[in-house]
Amino acid sequence: MKRRKIEIKLSKQQQQTRQIEKQPETAAVPFSGNITIDLDQIRKELGHNSDVGFREFYLGNTGIRAAIIFLYGLTDKELINKYILKSLMVNFSERHEHREVSLKEFITNQALSISDLTEVNNLHDTVSKILTGNTALLVDGIREIIILGTTKEKARNIEEPVSEALVRGPRIGFTETLSDNTAILRQQGCNHNLSIIQIQVGERSKKELVIAFINDIADPALVDEVIKRIKTINIDDLPESGYVEQLIEDNYLSPFPQVQNTERPDRVFSALMEGRIAILLDGSPFALIVPVTFSMLLQSPEDYYERWIPGSLIRLLRFLAAFLSLFAPSMYIAFISFHPGLIPTKLALSIISSREGVPFPALIEALIMEISIEILREAGLRLPKPIGPAMGIVGGLIIGEAAVQAGIISPIMVIVVSLTAISSFAIPQYSAGITLRILRFVAMFCAAMFGLYGIILFFLILCSHLVKLKSFGVPYVSPAVPYRISDWKDFILRMPLFMMKRRPKMLDTKDSIRKG
Amino acid sequence: MKVSHKDRITTPQAVIVLINYILAAGILTLPRTSVEKVKTPDVWLSVIIGGLIAIIAGIIMVKLSQQFPEKTIYQYSQVLVGKWLGGLLSLLIVGYFFTLAAYEVRTLAEVTGFFLLEGTPIWAIIMPFMWVGLYLVLDGINPIARLFEIIFPITVVIFLLVTFMGFEIFEIDNLRPVLGLGLFPVLKGIKTTVLAFLGPEIMLLLTAFMQKPHKATKVILVGIGIPMIFYIITVIMVIGALSIDGVVLRTWPTLDLIRSFEIQGLIFERFESMLLVIWIMQIFSTFTITYYAASLGLSQIFKMKMNPILYGLLFIIYVIALIPKNINDLFKFGDLIGNAALVLFGVLPLLLLVISKIKGGKT
Repeated sequence: MKRRKIEIKLSKQQQQTRQIEKQPETAAVPFSGNITIDLDQIRKELGHNSDVGFREFYLGNTGIRAAIIFLYGLTDKELINKYILKSLMVNFSERHEHREVSLKEFITNQALSISDLTEVNNLHDTVSKILTGNTALLVDGIREIIILGTTKEKARNIEEPVSEALVRGPRIGFTETLSDNTAILRQQGCNHNLSIIQIQVGERSKKELVIAFINDIADPALVDEVIKRIKTINIDDLPESGYVEQLIEDNYLSPFPQVQNTERPDRVFSALMEGRIAILLDGSPFALIVPVTFSMLLQSPEDYYERWIPGSLIRLLRFLAAFLSLFAPSMYIAFISFHPGLIPTKLALSIISSREGVPFPALIEALIMEISIEILREAGLRLPKPIGPAMGIVGGLIIGEAAVQAGIISPIMVIVVSLTAISSFAIPQYSAGITLRILRFVAMFCAAMFGLYGIILFFLILCSHLVKLKSFGVPYVSPAVPYRISDWKDFILRMPLFMMKRRPKMLDTKDSIRKG
Repeated sequence: MKVSHKDRITTPQAVIVLINYILAAGILTLPRTSVEKVKTPDVWLSVIIGGLIAIIAGIIMVKLSQQFPEKTIYQYSQVLVGKWLGGLLSLLIVGYFFTLAAYEVRTLAEVTGFFLLEGTPIWAIIMPFMWVGLYLVLDGINPIARLFEIIFPITVVIFLLVTFMGFEIFEIDNLRPVLGLGLFPVLKGIKTTVLAFLGPEIMLLLTAFMQKPHKATKVILVGIGIPMIFYIITVIMVIGALSIDGVVLRTWPTLDLIRSFEIQGLIFERFESMLLVIWIMQIFSTFTITYYAASLGLSQIFKMKMNPILYGLLFIIYVIALIPKNINDLFKFGDLIGNAALVLFGVLPLLLLVISKIKGGKT
């Protein structure tokens, strides 16, 4: 303990010294304007990297020395050749002779036909710009360095989201490129009030993070809270938006996801329209939505795309599925080992006769099957695509059948376990499915200890936890409780669209009526 | 120590808390205890009168609490009758609350031990139950109210479903004659039925937590009215199915009603497990609210933090719950609590209200 404290102290000191060291080289070093010196400075910082290109040349035939520095691979070579080098080397001299403005203004305003152009005057900014794919232009005699936006993003094509398949709905999913994602979002909903605010996160590797919300709907206090929490993120690097989720969530001990992740822009946009906030991170195709409530985890965008009757019924089905995937095995255990008298006599008799010869108590039997199906599921994820289905058949059908034949497991147990597994797939949110899978085991142990009473206790503690949980100030169990009848139109049932005129009250939106 | 803003509850929440508090052990035993006294099928009349009396008592308590906005009985009783007397009164109320909590827990253990977990020792049933209650109560009144809101609809749906299935064996003749022996037997049952409505006393605290305390009277009307409907349905169904002679013989007549019919062709043929599920939830809600009320009292009287009190009280409740030796002891224990409640919440609030009016008139 003591040593750890000392270590922390030491690292704090190191941090401080590092900051002191950092300062002169970051902010304070201005460029001299002498290209040899400035270029040397940049070389010292970047020259050892094989992917950094230095290209020195003369501006036309004026004899003024200039250089560009760029990153191979990340920059658009065609752009550099055609619009930077050509206009500075070939087409430069003739027009230059007739110029009436200073050299710098001439270059930026007349010579270069590049849309994205900024000027920086210190080494740190220059280096970070170069490393993100911009091209730096140094000209002898100009103190500022001109940064030209030549980034060519390595992006994959926009594809259908893999993790959230729909029968009906847009076949478009987010990609790993932030600018593409914000563009998709803009395209989804052409609304001038859509605010997209950029924040830089990550200490060592800076990543762009974007907060999106609708200006005249979202609660400003909520926006502030989200920004505040994101600003507190203090970590080297954020490889995926899952990191952000874990660093900003309310309760890290809860098994429930307090931030929703989705690959679907339509889902994000409809959440924005309800007054929620989306967080997108560069490099991750998963957008985060906050605040999230329990009922959202059981909703799918399709509920709204289909007509309201099928939409509502399917939603009811999902609630049933969630219940089954949570309680089916534990009910089996409770009724078999504690209260066979509470189930119909014939059913009890048939279960007991099928369990004849099974050497284990119900809990062990259930655990064997549940754990093996969890392993099977996990293995199925990792398997190469062509082998997957085959292994599923071997694992699921053959082993299940053989286990029954061998008399280790009763056939009813196989039915219960497969029902549970299928039910948990019916939950549209993968992360919510995982939660139910974990809690299922807890429920099984409670049932094994106290039977039905244990299940009730488990239910009570689960509810106690849920009512305490909040996601960004919104009670996790809303709209169920506190009672808000107007929000119930979009809870277990999905009422006809014309009836859902109001945005969810729990979000405290600025504009509560949906127009139209 | 004023009630902080985030601890406010809405009016519907207050209603739900009250309903959940009232509905508890009574559902299973009320038909027997009241029939024992009344001895005619007119018990449902006693239930109505009992409910009305409870409403009057509740309104008195609400009026008293409304005199002192944002203060609980523990705080304003000291203002009203002096530090020592007020403190003593508060301590009595605290004592009432945690004894009631212990009684509920023990009843739960008896019923669960009898119907669900034969042979399981009482402590094994009580302890996990109390821990779950502790976990809920740790975060104050708001999660409690929200949990009650989850439990309530489940209770209503299952209760109506289960009792109306009893129509199969319901015989209207069992309820006749109406007022065959006159009104007098009905009056004899009133004390028992009033005790089934124990619960309005929570308004002495709850009014301080309400966002709109002026609606507290409405809370009493609805919050007692709904349990009254529940009780009337229970009493009528149970007596209609089992007849008054049958009811007296059974310890838990309501459960026996559910056990005495079977409906073929459904997944469950017997529904007492369903009734037990909601009943355990109701006991849980009564336990948590009384437990919370007692701890809040101690923390306000002695100006201490809630958490250490919660842990300490948990142990005391546990010990008290283990005191009754058998089920008859337990019922006697219940009667004792009932009598205490009659004095504490039937007579005292009226006195306090009069005192506050006199004092208010003077200044």
